[in-house]
Amino acid sequence: MSLKFGVLGLLKGEPLHGYEVKNRFEAMLGGTWEVNIGQIYTTLQRLERDGLVRPIGRRGDRGKLQYELSPEGHKALDQWLAQPDSGPQQLHEDIYVKLLLATRIANGDLKGLLARQKRAYLQRLRDLNRLEERARRDGRVDLARLVRGALLHTEADLKWMDELSSERFGAEEGARTE
Amino acid sequence: MDGRTFFRAFRGGGGGKNGMSELVRLTEVTKVYQGGITGALNGVSLIVEKGEFTAIMGPSGSGKSTLLNLVAGLDRPTSGSVAVGGTDLGKLGESGLARFRRDNIGFVFQFFYLLPNLTSLENVLIPAQLKGSDATARARELLGQLGIQDIADRFPARLSGGQQQRVAIARALINSPTLLLADEPTGALDTHTGDQVMELLGQLNRDGQTILLVTHDAKLATRHAARVISVMDGKIVDDARLESPERAASEVIRVRSEEASR
Ligand SMILES: Nc1ncnc2c1ncn2[C@@H]1O[C@H](COP(=O)(O)OP(=O)(O)O)[C@@H](O)[C@H]1O
Ligand SMILES: [Mg+2]
Repeated sequence: MSLKFGVLGLLKGEPLHGYEVKNRFEAMLGGTWEVNIGQIYTTLQRLERDGLVRPIGRRGDRGKLQYELSPEGHKALDQWLAQPDSGPQQLHEDIYVKLLLATRIANGDLKGLLARQKRAYLQRLRDLNRLEERARRDGRVDLARLVRGALLHTEADLKWMDELSSERFGAEEGARTE
Repeated sequence: MDGRTFFRAFRGGGGGKNGMSELVRLTEVTKVYQGGITGALNGVSLIVEKGEFTAIMGPSGSGKSTLLNLVAGLDRPTSGSVAVGGTDLGKLGESGLARFRRDNIGFVFQFFYLLPNLTSLENVLIPAQLKGSDATARARELLGQLGIQDIADRFPARLSGGQQQRVAIARALINSPTLLLADEPTGALDTHTGDQVMELLGQLNRDGQTILLVTHDAKLATRHAARVISVMDGKIVDDARLESPERAASEVIRVRSEEASR
């Protein structure tokens, strides 16, 4: 979804060629999201099909085609920006399923799993800190904010590991798995 | 190993890997406070190398302050030994311990502990005066380095928390300690001021200062300390040495939301 609206947002500024959209999108994301030019063209074609962007110039050589936002595109973009992210929380990482499985397989003994994951989170915090510093050095306040969000998320992950580690899995409250 | 060879073995530091050398060694240290049912420390062994910035983390009551106090020579272990810079602290009497603290240890606390009836400059000078040296020039230089030269003649009551902590850091550094100990130095500061104080500690470490820091803030700890020790129930449960390679952004973060192909 964000790629579609990312493209719309970039075209709001000025009409762009496909490869300009790709370059600007990647630059905006500061290397945290790489797209191939094929994805960009597919996205532009879908946006055109839905009437949200319009090509300017000659058809034929798609590399030479510029796109601009249609009035519907402006509206769709504004609506999307005004909408809060809601719906289910996205938990993409493996740790959630690992935790559930380890509770069954290791009979509730999560010590090793938690210790290893904690280390990984500490290292991630360090890497994120360096990334934030670099973003600030480069004058990329927007990216630094994004990294800050990631830092706080990882801090919460770490607290979660600590909380699980300090739980005493007694026999009576033992892991109930259904 | 008897006490003598133990003492000698760590004198001069012997070079470790990467040209590092040992500064602090705790061997099977326990601490049971009077009236304490369980030990505050239960068999802690730890080596800190010169030049390291080490963070100690753990829930409150897990023994972090106790550990720092033992390293500072402010208190003695119930069993086990603490050696700093090759000196086995257990071998020192009270006056020897006081001299050791004065010459080797800088200590920064959560609540600054500045003397209210002394100016910033006078507070910074206390440890030097105990040593009998005139360090006014160095004190002013330190205040400058910490960005607070203009408040040298102010009393603590007229300083912000961040300024007070900087004065406390200058005081801790006045005798050029081999080891700087900081027990939750940002605990009483707001996020922004805490960041600045930690940035100063980071700079000191880059200039070679060995630092042992207790903190609750994992973000700040990992930003400046390359080693994070986790303490729980008076034991070290993890000792992580973190790497610091230049990583591409995409190796650290992927921004990606579900692509709906519609
Ligand atoms: N002076 C003291 N006398 C008695 N008990 C103490 C003293 N100092 C600390 N303790 C106890 O020792 C344990 C560890 O305390 P402390 O080292 O202050 O933990 P932390 O700094 O991690 O919060 C706690 O249970 C605390 O109550
Ligand atoms: Mg404490």
